[in-house]
Amino acid sequence: MASTPTDATPIEQLSYEQARDELAGIVSTLEAGGLTLEDSLALWERGEALAGHCRTWLEAARTRIADVEDDDSDD
Amino acid sequence: MGLESSADDPVPVRTVSRSLGEWIGRLGAIWMEGQIAEFRPRKGMRFQYFTLRDTDVEMSLSIRADAAVLGKLDPPLAEGQRIIVHARPDFYAARGSLSMLAREIRPVGLGTLLAELARLRDLLTAEGLFAPERKRSLPFLPRRVGLICGRNSAAMQDVLANARDRWPSVDFEVREVPVQGPQAVSAVTSALTELDSLPGVDVIIVTRGGGSVEDLLPFSNETLVRAAAACTTPIVSAIGHEQDAPLLDLVADLRASTPTDAAKRVVPSLTEQAALIDGLHERALRVLTHRIDSDAQTIEHRLARARGVVLSRLDAAANDVMHLAARVRSLSPAATLERGYAIVLTEDGGIVRDSDSVAADALLDIRLAEGRMTARREG
Repeated sequence: MASTPTDATPIEQLSYEQARDELAGIVSTLEAGGLTLEDSLALWERGEALAGHCRTWLEAARTRIADVEDDDSDD
Repeated sequence: MGLESSADDPVPVRTVSRSLGEWIGRLGAIWMEGQIAEFRPRKGMRFQYFTLRDTDVEMSLSIRADAAVLGKLDPPLAEGQRIIVHARPDFYAARGSLSMLAREIRPVGLGTLLAELARLRDLLTAEGLFAPERKRSLPFLPRRVGLICGRNSAAMQDVLANARDRWPSVDFEVREVPVQGPQAVSAVTSALTELDSLPGVDVIIVTRGGGSVEDLLPFSNETLVRAAAACTTPIVSAIGHEQDAPLLDLVADLRASTPTDAAKRVVPSLTEQAALIDGLHERALRVLTHRIDSDAQTIEHRLARARGVVLSRLDAAANDVMHLAARVRSLSPAATLERGYAIVLTEDGGIVRDSDSVAADALLDIRLAEGRMTARREG
């Protein structure tokens, strides 16, 4: 289940898997419904942040591979 | 039946000579076979002398023949000929010299010689002297090469030049001997035995150039062939031309067609061996580099596949994240805000539902579809 926003771990420290799992958790919590507006707002914002974190991580991974491929074609 | 004698009662020379003459005379007339070693016709003399040598060993007899006896011979008597002689011993008491008085001389024709050779070949074959199992293999690189050849002969030069050309540091033990005529058999035989006994000599080449059947006969001589058979050192025979096949060829461990061929069979060629090694080395390198190339290729393939997998995983993940984010947005108040609503929050993040709950001058946080702002309560 998603950790409550107040004691959530700062997103930068999360690994890609942790961020993605938490995001998936948020979706299922929102899907369950019955949330106060505050909670759903908070979850929404955290979700956005987690998605951003995941995208950044994936982009970085892609770049690392691209760099290596460039090195290959150089030698 | 010897003479009685003693230091006190010595016997006079005449008695000894007479006795010798008598004993020798008892031999009577016999047919002998031999080879003419020396013959110097003396013009106008009734009696001629020549030396008849045994065909195999170093033994000779002096022969005296009446010119009439010699006259019948066609071709006339000549050194080197094989003949059979009917003669009786002739002891010249005056000087104690012995010679055989020839009554009849017959040349040993080529046919007889060849027939004799064929008989000898069958005899030695039956004895197994030419059996393949007896053949010894030649050493790859002999320490010293024994060489029996004619004095300063072309055959000798061929062997030396070709062997040194192939293996410059080859070491020779050369014996230059008569290779035809009466001395040939004993000279070649003793050279063979001597070289065979030398420890450093690992192979012996016996060679001579082409020649007549008679010239090559010594190399089919029983004594010489048996001596060759007795050698423990491998023997290479290179006698005469290609088509000549003296018995030595059959008993030798290897028959070479020419002196040059003999040299080639006895020492390896340095350049060939070097080329062989280079070839092997290169093949090894090729196999190795091929192996490395194919391994490298395998690695490249695997790496490419790995990248492919990771990239597709990344794409899939990106899709997941996109979907999740979309889900979050659709389940959140964002949709309501998009319709123009705003959410007002107090400083501590609580949502304001009743204006009374907000003090005058209180700082408010307003959330809009796009972005947020703060405000202060006036009225």
